[in-house]
Amino acid sequence: MMGPVADPITPSDAAPAPVARVAFPSVQWFEALGQRMHDQRDHFAKIGDMDCTMQLTLYDASPAGQPWRCQVEFEGTDVVDVREVGEGDEERADFVIETDLDTWREMVDNIVANGGRPDLDHTLNRLSLPGVPIRLWGVDPVRRDAYYRFNQSLQHYVNNAAAFGTRWPGDADEAPLPAPDGPAARA
Amino acid sequence: MTATENRVKDLPIILPEPSEATSGEQVEQATEEWVEKFRGYYDQWGTLLQQNLDRLSRGSYSLHWLDTEHTHWGTRVQPSSRGLTAADIDRPKVYGTLPEHTEWRNFAPRGSARDLYKDAMPVIEGYDVLDKSHLWADNVNTLYEEAKVRQWNSTTDIPWSELEPVSEELEKAACQLSTFLTEVEFVAGDFPSRWVWRTAPDFFEVNNFLTTQMVDEARHMEVFRKRAMAGAGGLMHPSPAFEWALKAILESPTHSQGTFLLNVLGEGLVLSIFRAGEFLSKTHVDKEIFRLCMQDEARHVSYGTLEFKAYLDAAADRERALADMHRFADIGEQTILTALSEPALLESVAVLMGGSVAEIDEGMEGVGFLWSTIVEEYLQRCDRAGFSRRDRCTIPLEFPWAA
Repeated sequence: MMGPVADPITPSDAAPAPVARVAFPSVQWFEALGQRMHDQRDHFAKIGDMDCTMQLTLYDASPAGQPWRCQVEFEGTDVVDVREVGEGDEERADFVIETDLDTWREMVDNIVANGGRPDLDHTLNRLSLPGVPIRLWGVDPVRRDAYYRFNQSLQHYVNNAAAFGTRWPGDADEAPLPAPDGPAARA
Repeated sequence: MTATENRVKDLPIILPEPSEATSGEQVEQATEEWVEKFRGYYDQWGTLLQQNLDRLSRGSYSLHWLDTEHTHWGTRVQPSSRGLTAADIDRPKVYGTLPEHTEWRNFAPRGSARDLYKDAMPVIEGYDVLDKSHLWADNVNTLYEEAKVRQWNSTTDIPWSELEPVSEELEKAACQLSTFLTEVEFVAGDFPSRWVWRTAPDFFEVNNFLTTQMVDEARHMEVFRKRAMAGAGGLMHPSPAFEWALKAILESPTHSQGTFLLNVLGEGLVLSIFRAGEFLSKTHVDKEIFRLCMQDEARHVSYGTLEFKAYLDAAADRERALADMHRFADIGEQTILTALSEPALLESVAVLMGGSVAEIDEGMEGVGFLWSTIVEEYLQRCDRAGFSRRDRCTIPLEFPWAA
């Protein structure tokens, strides 16, 4: 006969793991958001499947200060592909959001500072409606409208930046962040 | 006369007692007409009834339904990664091929062995939208699936307890905007309902999507009515200017024309207002409301754009179809402009943008940007549908505001 079995280890029982910082901009940073999305499948399923490809273009984020472009492909409740792309690849994206590194960093910092829910002035839609500081566009207005159709899921996807640390250009390599106290709040 | 026929003829006519609440004479007359109508069809349905009763009385079976000769028995549909979707069950051509025109004005499912029963079927006179070109959009199955999984509940999915008090001016503006949106969401639900019951069931995919639009719009009407009351403000001023636009939408002569006016122009406008609502929200409650409504509205706009495109692409005489649509749009745009220029809308949005009545001028600058966005996105969607209005649009491209 087997002896008593310990209770399963739950995340709250386990020793919190230190959170590694993920460099930005990078494919890995968006994959990390995707991993959090995958881990929260029930939540993302509740707010609805999302099928679209988003391109983020940062005008000044490459090491040489040139544009850096990345496409994130969503399918259902998962990120199925993240790829760095070049100029002219916009056709493969349903919509493109363009901004500069400082704006993106301010948005992410705000999400982190507010525990995973940006304040009223730092949501994706808030920043993109006037065309500045984030510009939204797409080669096809019907496909572009996916940004509106899936906006809540996109916002929650980005909100997951509060779940790990970001190493911004110019930041020194440093020790990982301590583990967060709990799941990030939602916008 | 058969025994069954005698039984039917002898059925008593039981009429409801006239009441003051309803027009007793109208009910009595309508009931009499209905009874006479179905007695008149007796040769058709009575024959079926007699056959069925005879069979039962003989203790006999038909078992004709086991015959698969005229069916597509053995056609297996395969679920995709998302489950068995509307698109998946349309994949086999024997089930998924929609007729360009249908004469099936009854409920016999497309793909069933219905040809065997054609002569015995009733005709539902109300089904008079019989052409695919007035309904179909290539994205309708996708949008239907999307609508099903992105439903939300205004009762529980909005953090109502987090609604924070704002100044009375801002609350009045929020309540006025909510009143406007309550008013317009009625028609956005009523327009598809006006056409769903006229659409032949062969086009059930479209009807399925339109019913999700009706649910979406009911929820929008509900959430904005709630929002107006939740902050201790209340419903404010309805507007005749809105109402004329809504009447023009509801009474559009064809489904495609009404879909253009509602889903492409009207809902496109409301989509931009929802985006602006999220933009200028003073509380997380309002932000959540507008973001969720924005998602729903964008589905309706997407359907409208591609339905309109499909209508034009399928037109036998495209030039004539375009000319008719331009003529329709010339007036349709003006009715929407009548609503768009309404002070109860523009000024309440301007106060929310500016932050107070004193700063309404600053807010009007934001409204000007919103106006340009609405018109430009409308023109983009028209272009996408193959209907260029850039040289003919009767809505000013720039906000006609003399600061």
